[in-house]
Amino acid sequence: MIKRLLPRRAVGLAARGLAARGFARPSGVAIRGGGLVIRDGDQEEREAAVSFRRRGLLIGLAHAAAFGALGSRLYQLQVLEAVEIAGQALDNRTRIIPTAPMRGRIVDAAGNVLAANREVFRILVIPEPGGDLRDLRPLLGRLAPMVGLSHEDQERLFAKARGQARHIPLLVSEGVTFEQVAALQLRASDLPGVRAETIWVRSYPAREREAHSMAHIVGYVGAVDRRALDDDPILRLADARVGKAGVEAGMETELRGVGGQVQIEVDARSRFVRRVSETAPLAGRDVRLTVDTKLQMQVMDRLARDGRPGACVVLDCVTGEVRVMASTPTFDAGRLSGVQSKAAWQAVASNPDKPLLNRAIAGQYPPGSTFKMVTALAGLEAGLLTVKEKIECWGDVTIAGHVFRCWNRKGHITSDLHKALRESCDCYFYEVARRVGMEAIAVKARELGLGQTYDAGISQQKAGLIPTPGWKRNRSKTGWLLGETVMAGIGQGYVLATPLQLAVMTARIATGRAVTPTLVARPEGDPDPQFATMAIAPAALEAVRKAMVGVVNEPGGTGQAADIDDGEMVIAGKTGTSQVSRASADRDRSTALDLKQRDHALFVAFLPAGKPRYAVAVVLEHAGGGGTMAGPLVRDVVAMLVEGDKHLARTEVPLAGDGPVVGEGAGKRAEVR
Amino acid sequence: MFETHRALSVLQKLARVNWLVIVLVLLLAGTGVATLYSVAGGSFEPWAQRHAVRCAAGVAVLLGCALVPVKVWMQAAVPVYLAALALLAAVPLIGSEAMGAKRWLSLGGTTIQPSEFMKVALVLVLARFYAALPAASVSRLRWVGVPLALMAVPIVLTLKQPDLGTAMLFAGLGLGMMFLAGVSVWYFAAGLVGVLAVLPQVGAHLHDYQRKRIEIFLDPASDPLGAGYHITQAKIALGAGGLNGQGYLKGTQNQLDFVPEKMTDFIFAMIGEEWGFTGACMVLGLFALLIGTLFVMAFGSRQGFSRLVIAGAALSVSIYVLINVGMVTGLVPVVGVPLPLISYGGTAMLGMMVALGLAMSAYVHEGQR
Repeated sequence: MIKRLLPRRAVGLAARGLAARGFARPSGVAIRGGGLVIRDGDQEEREAAVSFRRRGLLIGLAHAAAFGALGSRLYQLQVLEAVEIAGQALDNRTRIIPTAPMRGRIVDAAGNVLAANREVFRILVIPEPGGDLRDLRPLLGRLAPMVGLSHEDQERLFAKARGQARHIPLLVSEGVTFEQVAALQLRASDLPGVRAETIWVRSYPAREREAHSMAHIVGYVGAVDRRALDDDPILRLADARVGKAGVEAGMETELRGVGGQVQIEVDARSRFVRRVSETAPLAGRDVRLTVDTKLQMQVMDRLARDGRPGACVVLDCVTGEVRVMASTPTFDAGRLSGVQSKAAWQAVASNPDKPLLNRAIAGQYPPGSTFKMVTALAGLEAGLLTVKEKIECWGDVTIAGHVFRCWNRKGHITSDLHKALRESCDCYFYEVARRVGMEAIAVKARELGLGQTYDAGISQQKAGLIPTPGWKRNRSKTGWLLGETVMAGIGQGYVLATPLQLAVMTARIATGRAVTPTLVARPEGDPDPQFATMAIAPAALEAVRKAMVGVVNEPGGTGQAADIDDGEMVIAGKTGTSQVSRASADRDRSTALDLKQRDHALFVAFLPAGKPRYAVAVVLEHAGGGGTMAGPLVRDVVAMLVEGDKHLARTEVPLAGDGPVVGEGAGKRAEVR
Repeated sequence: MFETHRALSVLQKLARVNWLVIVLVLLLAGTGVATLYSVAGGSFEPWAQRHAVRCAAGVAVLLGCALVPVKVWMQAAVPVYLAALALLAAVPLIGSEAMGAKRWLSLGGTTIQPSEFMKVALVLVLARFYAALPAASVSRLRWVGVPLALMAVPIVLTLKQPDLGTAMLFAGLGLGMMFLAGVSVWYFAAGLVGVLAVLPQVGAHLHDYQRKRIEIFLDPASDPLGAGYHITQAKIALGAGGLNGQGYLKGTQNQLDFVPEKMTDFIFAMIGEEWGFTGACMVLGLFALLIGTLFVMAFGSRQGFSRLVIAGAALSVSIYVLINVGMVTGLVPVVGVPLPLISYGGTAMLGMMVALGLAMSAYVHEGQR
């Protein structure tokens, strides 16, 4: 009894207490129930009724608490956190689909379109929800005569459809004609799930020769290799293409444009419900090149005539604009991105002459004697050499126990700077390099633009190599050897440069300014860029320039083959014959049996010598001597430049200041003056 | 009025029906019809129309049950319980499977859910048991064991289906009725201690999906597109509703299929989105009113059987509402429990109407011997 009463009393007290505090419903019931129980009179039944009432009240309270909890939870979710949750709701039902912008075009300096976009029709089969794969075969059979599918094509497509998720559209045919699409539309009811759509594909509309000559510059586009989460969302589109080479890649950001987006409402199964909003994509910017297709094509043709892989770069010394960037052999970008692209790719990729390589920016060659200006300027700058100082040459020189040979086995007897550059005396520069040291040479080389890439609007540039003792320490156990400095002094050893870098070097020597190259034309009306003057003594630069005039115009000059025999135009230049293999060192390297062991022929030049406008750099792989092989090429390129720029001759002014005796070249200088 | 041995006529019985309960039932079922109309995107097909028909049939069944003398129900209690038990036991043998659980029996072209009938049967059998038991014996250990056994058998059978929600309902219903019948609170205290003690062992025996549900309940964000999807989406729908709702037929979250089971277990999310906090509270208020009315009816009854039958009906409404709304609002783990009278589902509707009909019978026949 006590056992039963104790809790009941407690419960009853609690219930009464709460009832007294005005819980309307329980208290009302209690009064009514009480009346009933008293009238009954049966003790046990009355007690049970009272117990039920008390316990019922307790359960009622528990319910009140529970409903209160639900109510406050709803208040929390629907009122307090509603704004935050509403944002999630918006995300929940809308999907943002990026839309691709139209890629910008690439046009040449004259406005000819080199890269554009072409509308292509293609045929897809969109699987019906719950559709049967067996229906596909007869469907393809009906499609076959209309879009030209062979039996093999049908089998291949069927196998592809079987191998992919059911809901993924099957691409049946790309590049169908408008007439074919129209025919399909007419028979649409017979072709369930067949859809024609248009996509924009990159096209290279220039005619074959023009396209070929510009292929390395323009480059090409391809599928996106790797996507990071923070990448532009349009890269995740199935048909996304990005620049892979050339200006297509180098100017990717400008060309691509800004993706638009379509916001669509979908249901939980991602089915389209309606279009909510649309932001139009912003088309990519057109990029105008500094290169003129006509001149480029002339140079390409001339370059190809030598039959050797090679490159030629022509820079505008004043603006840094690249006028010509030729590289042979070349390729057909249109074919690489076309339908039979795979076979074309294989053919191009397996060609030993590497047609895809843009040698002008990615061909790294020992600069050979074209590097001697760097060594000379480093010596003059360091005060360890004067313009007048004569250095002996007896055909070879022994430094640190090693014999270093001059190209001229008879030697140059004695040479000052002018003669040494003009006749390209190796011994002179061995000695200068020994005195100056590699660090100082490397500093000068970088100052002149070597060992670096430029923000020129073209991708895949190589940096070349300007070695330093520190660089060697990082990659080899043996330390830097003096002999390596000596070899670097004549542009051999580890030193590597690209034709573009050599053109920049030449332009910087010619102008004394830190010219940087670009392939992208400035907006119409923008003033010429003002490049900073380099911290090189003008007298030293002038001495080097005069020597370069001598290379082409004086007896004994190694580059006389580059002279255009045009009285008005004086060219300054420097030959280079860069040794490729040590094994051939003692043989006549220009006629070695193994072509791959022959020397590269190089030539750098600027013109007009008095008021430099153009800098030219030429490399012919394994062609032999720079003067004999590259010289005529430069001559022809210069002739084309003069031909194409009538203004050039009229701007000709005499060389500033009096130089050393110029020999027979003096006649020309007199004419210039 | 309270003690008459003269049998009541049908009209007299109808006059004695608590029409407030019928009105509340119709309001709630009408809410269900309206919501199902919206769920279908503004169409009576496929749910709203059938729900309305079932509601009408259900009210008829309710009234039909109410007209049957309560003593008939008392006599039928044990056979009904045994029949429900037999059906429940048959489910694992001949039942059909849906969503990974066998809960349904196919009988003559329609499917029924025996656990819904067990709900009614359990109320009847427990009320019958306590009606026969002298009040002094209610807290005797052996007489506590009997109702526990009556509960345990269907609980074990439903857990095997597996249907945690219904098992929880049986447990809550049975324990609530035992409490109301006057079983000493010490048993409940001891039971609570015992449950807390064995809870870890129970956890080890839960089905993987059950354990996962509990884990996901504790952290729904851990699986936003998998099993936590229900919870997260329901919360988003409620939040999208805000104070006054998106408007009828305009609940995008639900209309767009984001809320799964939106016509059955998650229908409250739909109501919350379209009608907002205001509407959701009004629906909760209707339920509270229904439960309160039933308790008032129970308090007014002098017969132990009638009291417990009415209270059992009230408890089966309230437990379902609390679990369902708690689940939709993320307060309790997701268990498959419908919102009474509103969720689409014939058996649940019928079971609820029968339970209310029994309660109404007890109310109508109050004082009849």
